[in-house]
Amino acid sequence: MNENVLEVINLETIFKRDQQEIKILRGVNFSIQRGEVLGLVGESGSGKSITSLSIMKLFHGTSGEIKNGSISFHGTDLTKLDEASMRQLRGKKISMIFQEPMTSLNPVLKIGKQLTESIEMHMKLTRKQSTAHAIKTLKSVGIGRAEELMNEYPHQLSGGMRQRVMIAMAMACEPELLIADEPTTALDVTIQAQILELMKQLKEKNDTAILLITHDLGVVAEMCDRVVVMYAGQVVEEADVFELFANPKHPYTKGLINSVPKIGDRKEVLDSIPGNVPSPQNMPQGCKFAPRCSNAMEKCHEHEPEIETITESHFCSCWLYASKEVALHAK
Amino acid sequence: MQNKLLQVKNLKKQFQVAGGMFEKKEFVNAVIDVSFEIKEGTTFSLVGESGCGKSTTGRLITRLIDPTSGSITLNGNEVGYLKQSELGDLRETVQMIFQDPYASLNPRMKVKEIIEEPLIIHTKLSKGERENLVLEMLNIVGLNTEYANRYAHEFSGGQRQRIGIARALITKPKLIIADEPVSALDVSIQSQILNLLKKLQQEYQLSYLFISHDLSVVEHISNEIGVMYLGSIVEIATKEALFVNPLHPYTKALIASVPVADPLLRRKKETLKGDIPNPKNPPTGCTFHTRCPIAQELCKLEVPKMRQITEQQSVACHFVEKIEEV
Ligand SMILES: Nc1ncnc2c1ncn2[C@@H]1O[C@H](COP(=O)(O)OP(=O)(O)O)[C@@H](O)[C@H]1O
Ligand SMILES: Nc1ncnc2c1ncn2[C@@H]1O[C@H](COP(=O)(O)OP(=O)(O)O)[C@@H](O)[C@H]1O
Ligand code: SF4
Ligand code: SF4
Ligand SMILES: [Mg+2]
Ligand SMILES: [Mg+2]
Repeated sequence: MNENVLEVINLETIFKRDQQEIKILRGVNFSIQRGEVLGLVGESGSGKSITSLSIMKLFHGTSGEIKNGSISFHGTDLTKLDEASMRQLRGKKISMIFQEPMTSLNPVLKIGKQLTESIEMHMKLTRKQSTAHAIKTLKSVGIGRAEELMNEYPHQLSGGMRQRVMIAMAMACEPELLIADEPTTALDVTIQAQILELMKQLKEKNDTAILLITHDLGVVAEMCDRVVVMYAGQVVEEADVFELFANPKHPYTKGLINSVPKIGDRKEVLDSIPGNVPSPQNMPQGCKFAPRCSNAMEKCHEHEPEIETITESHFCSCWLYASKEVALHAK
Repeated sequence: MQNKLLQVKNLKKQFQVAGGMFEKKEFVNAVIDVSFEIKEGTTFSLVGESGCGKSTTGRLITRLIDPTSGSITLNGNEVGYLKQSELGDLRETVQMIFQDPYASLNPRMKVKEIIEEPLIIHTKLSKGERENLVLEMLNIVGLNTEYANRYAHEFSGGQRQRIGIARALITKPKLIIADEPVSALDVSIQSQILNLLKKLQQEYQLSYLFISHDLSVVEHISNEIGVMYLGSIVEIATKEALFVNPLHPYTKALIASVPVADPLLRRKKETLKGDIPNPKNPPTGCTFHTRCPIAQELCKLEVPKMRQITEQQSVACHFVEKIEEV
């Protein structure tokens, strides 16, 4: 039996501004199984990071709030947990890595201290055992001089090295779910290749479920088992990675895939998607992609399409694939 | 025969990063040895990882900074050592486009003022003539002329980049130095800007020096490509030669590292080991020897010279021929 580590159901997250509620996530649904890499893709501003911050409930300093829906982690609804219980989970059962490693590294603490503190707290080990475990973890992410590095500060390291330390920190307590938000976007390609390889190995070893957020379809194709495409705070398509690239359904997904310049492909003019992601304060009625969609029909501008089942493992929300008809407003 | 618009020879730039009267001087060798030329109406790209000296090369050519040595000739005239007061022609002929259009645009200026500014500095056109040109430019880069009175911060990344392009083109330059112009944009928008750059090149016979770390983008836009590593060009070739038959071990590794947007082509990667060395203290001999999978003793001792291998391709590696054999 495949076991869902995480199930996100109808998640709605809002931000408050000037007494107004701005809906950022408008009903997000997906699940991740043990040992699976789920890709979350979409243009910037589509709500990928807010999805991950909602799962971690990391809203401090912002007006963000989960308004509706549930996030079930091994059957426990995270939306119902208080901050103290969340803190028990973060860094142990669920870890997160960010694009910018300094988001999770403390600049005034030596690497060793940062690693062992979290290991001591979550794994209930002695100081000495934690140190040994920290060094082992650093070595597992390909850092040869792990002992030395324990005594260094984050600013003494290169970008790639910091990213590796952050991954080591995230993996130290052997989490069941790793959320990686654009983990290699700031890195050079040769270093990116190292980090992606490393994430694959760690996943193989511990059967970790990974939510991989990226705007890079190359990274998706390389890493993911399944893909969720987000647009304007919703999932518009979900499919197995091979199916998604071979047979994309949603006009937005097609647009994204066709926009990528590919090595060896001698196209003179690249495809693109006209216009921009709508801002949450200015959401169009009907299908949120309609203003940019070359397939848009009259009903698209009036009614939102529902998510439809294309095959057992392929879902898409677009009127082109609707099983039901809808009555148009009389003009 | 296409005219050589720009020729760069043995360009070198050292930045002093420490040292005063009593302190030991320290230098960063940002550009060690860069030579290439750009023909009229073509695109030459510099590609390589961060810190390899791409932007410094661009800034040297626009003379935002002074070279340590080497030569830069534009239309046959040496411009590398002109005084700031003598750079009038260069400033009209060569314009820049940057990665972050927002940072390079003044948020307090209206779109029309941003685009018009180079005309005020470089030409004696009347206000009316300038305004007509601004409206024409907005059309050319695909922006609604109604946007002329808005401020840059009201625009999305792609639109800001169009504003940046309009500003760069308004003096009718011959050479555009585009430093990571699409790196901050989503792919869907990136392709719009790449298409626009190509269209403008054809219409106005523009030459581009295109600077990017993204090989797929570089392949799409270039005629010729120089691959840089730690301040030097290690391979220089036509696009076709470089991507079909990369010769330098670093070029091979770079191309192999690019994730391919097709899961059917997934493969285990032979990743390059280690980090890019610090340019304050570059390795001896071939600077790539600390990461090169086929490095030999000689590589630590001697800097490999750039050698032409075919008509389309030159490489700086002691053992290119060996690689071709295996
Ligand atoms: N702290 C915040 N307050 C208000 N709006 C926010 C905040 N953070 C993000 N947003 C908005 O939420 C939307 C989704 O953002 P995000 O999840 O960061 O997108 P992505 O990660 O897909 O690029 C954007 O419109 C963004 O402006
Ligand atoms: N003004 C400067 N002072 C000191 N060092 C500099 C300066 N500008 C660039 N550098 C250094 O020169 C090297 C090359 O930088 P750059 O040309 O920006 O590389 P790239 O554009 O390829 O990323 C880097 O090590 C960088 O830190
Ligand atoms: S529902 Fe209509 S507008 Fe939306 S993606 Fe489908 S065809 Fe395009
Ligand atoms: S000269 Fe030597 S170290 Fe440099 S690329 Fe060639 S084989 Fe590798
Ligand atoms: Mg994000
Ligand atoms: Mg640069």
